[in-house]
Amino acid sequence: MGEKLRGRGMAASWYGIARTATTDRAGAWAELDDGGTAKIVTGVTEIGEGILTVLAQVAAEELGVRPEDVTLGDNDTARSPEAAHAGATRQTYMISNAVALACRDARAKFDPFMADYWDVAVEEIEARNGEVWARDHHNLRMPMEEAVALCKNNGVVPVGAGSFTSEHTGLDPVDGSGRPWQAYVFGTQVCEVEVDTATGEVQLLGVWAAHDIGRVVNPRGVEGQIEGGVVQAVGQALMEDYIQVDGKTTTPGFAKYILPTSLDVPQVTSVLVEDHDPNNPLGVKGIGEPAMVPTSPAIMNAIYDAIGVRITSLPATPEKVLAALRAKRNKDQVAANVAAAE
Amino acid sequence: MADLNISMTVNGRAVEKSAAAGSRLLDFIRNDLNLTGTKEGCGAGECGTCSVFVDGVLVKSCMVPVAKADGAEIETVEGLAPRRQMTPVQRAFHKTGASQCGYCIPGMVMAASATLRENPQADLEEIKQGLGGNICRCTGYQKIFEAVELARDVINGKVPETALDEDEVGESFIGANVRRLDAPSKVTGALRYAGDMVVPTMLHLQVLRSPHAHALIKSIDTSDAEAMAGVEAVVTAADIPGEDGYGVFVHDQPTLATDKVRYVGEAIAAVAAETEALARDAVKAIKIEYEELPAVFDPHEAMSGGPILHDYAQDNVTYHVPIRKGDVEKGFAEADVIVEQDYDTQPIEHAYLEPEAGLAYEEADGTITIHSPSQNITHHRHAASRILGMPVNKIRMIMSPVGGGFGGKEDMHYQCFLALAALKSGRPVRYVFTREESIIASAKRHGFKIRYKMGLKKNGRITATEMYMVSDGGAYGCSTEGVMRKSAILAAGPYDIPNVKVDTIGVYTNNTPAGAMRAFGALQSEFSTESHLDICAEKLGLDPFEIRRINMMQDGAITHTRQKLGSVSIGQVLDEAEKVSGWESGAPTVRGPVRKDLGGDGNREPCTLVPRHTTTASPEEEVA
Repeated sequence: MGEKLRGRGMAASWYGIARTATTDRAGAWAELDDGGTAKIVTGVTEIGEGILTVLAQVAAEELGVRPEDVTLGDNDTARSPEAAHAGATRQTYMISNAVALACRDARAKFDPFMADYWDVAVEEIEARNGEVWARDHHNLRMPMEEAVALCKNNGVVPVGAGSFTSEHTGLDPVDGSGRPWQAYVFGTQVCEVEVDTATGEVQLLGVWAAHDIGRVVNPRGVEGQIEGGVVQAVGQALMEDYIQVDGKTTTPGFAKYILPTSLDVPQVTSVLVEDHDPNNPLGVKGIGEPAMVPTSPAIMNAIYDAIGVRITSLPATPEKVLAALRAKRNKDQVAANVAAAE
Repeated sequence: MADLNISMTVNGRAVEKSAAAGSRLLDFIRNDLNLTGTKEGCGAGECGTCSVFVDGVLVKSCMVPVAKADGAEIETVEGLAPRRQMTPVQRAFHKTGASQCGYCIPGMVMAASATLRENPQADLEEIKQGLGGNICRCTGYQKIFEAVELARDVINGKVPETALDEDEVGESFIGANVRRLDAPSKVTGALRYAGDMVVPTMLHLQVLRSPHAHALIKSIDTSDAEAMAGVEAVVTAADIPGEDGYGVFVHDQPTLATDKVRYVGEAIAAVAAETEALARDAVKAIKIEYEELPAVFDPHEAMSGGPILHDYAQDNVTYHVPIRKGDVEKGFAEADVIVEQDYDTQPIEHAYLEPEAGLAYEEADGTITIHSPSQNITHHRHAASRILGMPVNKIRMIMSPVGGGFGGKEDMHYQCFLALAALKSGRPVRYVFTREESIIASAKRHGFKIRYKMGLKKNGRITATEMYMVSDGGAYGCSTEGVMRKSAILAAGPYDIPNVKVDTIGVYTNNTPAGAMRAFGALQSEFSTESHLDICAEKLGLDPFEIRRINMMQDGAITHTRQKLGSVSIGQVLDEAEKVSGWESGAPTVRGPVRKDLGGDGNREPCTLVPRHTTTASPEEEVA
């Protein structure tokens, strides 16, 4: 009869943000639009990570409107500027900075007009939450809707464009030296497991995840990325395995290719560390990929802590854990016999 | 087969329609009623994206023949709330950020609704069980659990309805929990993914794929298929007008195989026809003569004289990245302990819930427009321009909502032959992968074999790290070059190590191609480093946090690629993780049985095999 043994393990990690070893770039357009709204156009869209909401938050902050006032036109190579691809943990880093720069460009048309209109210095113009005002002049204030109409009636459309660049260099082909990214993030996770020594089944019960992601735009969105990354790593660490025999897969569907379900997933406690990046206007970094890097080694370290077997070959399926336990028992027995003989 | 006359109530409205005999309830809902909130993720009852209520019971509509639902009352995600409104469950999903890509979400909302209808007091364990038949690949489920618990408490009046409102925003929108703007469209099923798109006169595409891992194509005869009524275009490599070849780094993959196939599942020919069934039949009518070639499935064998896949790579090496810093031999000579260990990691499938899909059509000005959940429309536009022999501004790539990508939708596996079928037929053409097709045809995470050697001083300082990693890139290059690069750069970890020697080698084999997947090679190499450090910590009697602190990079560190860093936050994240987990320090010497920090806050209950979910009503009461 087996036991259920618990253990803990930890692992650290690092990751580079945006495209590797090649200059990365992204473009965006912005317009302060009628009715106190704003239009943002950029060539990449949501793959589920929440980038559209992030861009709306950034645009709202930069333009002085609300996120729900922002219309995002995106994802069409014939209708929007290039923003390159949706991957490499580059969306928040690259696209939100391009959007911020485009918004600032639009403000560079709008703010001087308002300063002129109110006869104040351009630095005194502020806008937030659908209102625009001149700092320290409490009688100079109006809704954004009215201000944009005034601006347009005087012949100025407050539009802007932005391009953000992240400077990376290629690697030397001989020694690999180079500057592959300008922003790096770091993470550490602790995992707690329970191992059933009768079945070999490993359950991941808790994960405590601390990640540096630069300036946080949407904390809940970041947590979602960490939780999702951890659970994909649970699949990699404990169950998923794309098996091929002579080039033909024996795992062609979800009956054979096992994925984590609601009953397999740990509770995740996230700690968001904000080490702002000095090389971009917003100070942001990213989290999509790095979230899942420390999880699988932390799980293997926790399994070792619980039962004293080191799984070096992923995934740690029940069969593999049982085989390792049997090997360990045999080894321990041989050692005991040797000790007794001596 | 004759059509069936189906009459049922769907979302409160009477429906009378004929349906093809043998069609599934899912097909009827999606294709005949155009209610595309109900998704198809696997077609085998395994993922839950197609969940609907039939006479109040939650079922997977891909498993129900439409004939069996004749006369039934059907409720889909579109029918949960009146138009332009949301139920508390849907609002709670919006509030907590429970939707990411959104493809599983209609099914998840249905399962959550079923759970709370069955037991409005359902506890967390019962909620988890209620959602147990629905897979989500993005969220990690935690925000979904939170949403269902919140909805339960609102429904029961335990918390006020205002708990579903958006959080107050403080000083700045940046740093605020602004609710996802796309969530309402996802929780109500309103958002249309590529496979949900329908345009007038649209044809359906099906693909002939290789049954062989390595074979010459001696001939392709499409004449029978082309002669079939309702077949509007058959496309093969012969139809490619430009210079063929795609791939994220090296353009070695043909849009459709020409003289040779290199993996099981490789696309050879495509048929566009009036219906999906007809296109499938036409695919079967295409005759191909193969001559099988010896194949290689192990990267080490492939590197040492195995059959050659591509003429330009006689050693089957796709890409090799070396990192050299200092002198590892000197470092090992200085070490007090040397620890060697092999590691390996398996290939895995992205398993995005949305299988690949696309819709292509020619516009009036001759532009070819391709909608697909592509993660890289910029790159795909360039590649398609070259392959289709058209100017770049006549290729219009539109990124449809992506139902999960994780790197797997960076490859342009189908967009070009879809475009060719639209150009050849002069009609819009749609292609939706089955789950099985998605699994065999799309790239996987690279499996790695890693040989690790580390030298350390007794005080825990690493003097040298040597890693030799061979990776199975499968039949085509895809993202292998980039994966090798990122893997190598990050391999030795965020540690200050004077002597580093790292090699990553991506190799061609006749396995399914490997490509981009979230954490892109770094997952594999850092897995070995972080496992290895624990082995070393045990040998040296050091706490795992301690050995990392002893070696970690500091502000201004020089990396393994000799880049000078600015601020380095590894110390902070180590401190935070140690603190929040309440870590009990000590060397990793199998302390599990004696450690005191187990079982605290932040753990879930272990899952047991005993059913925990019992209804409150006893059988007698139900009879009564």
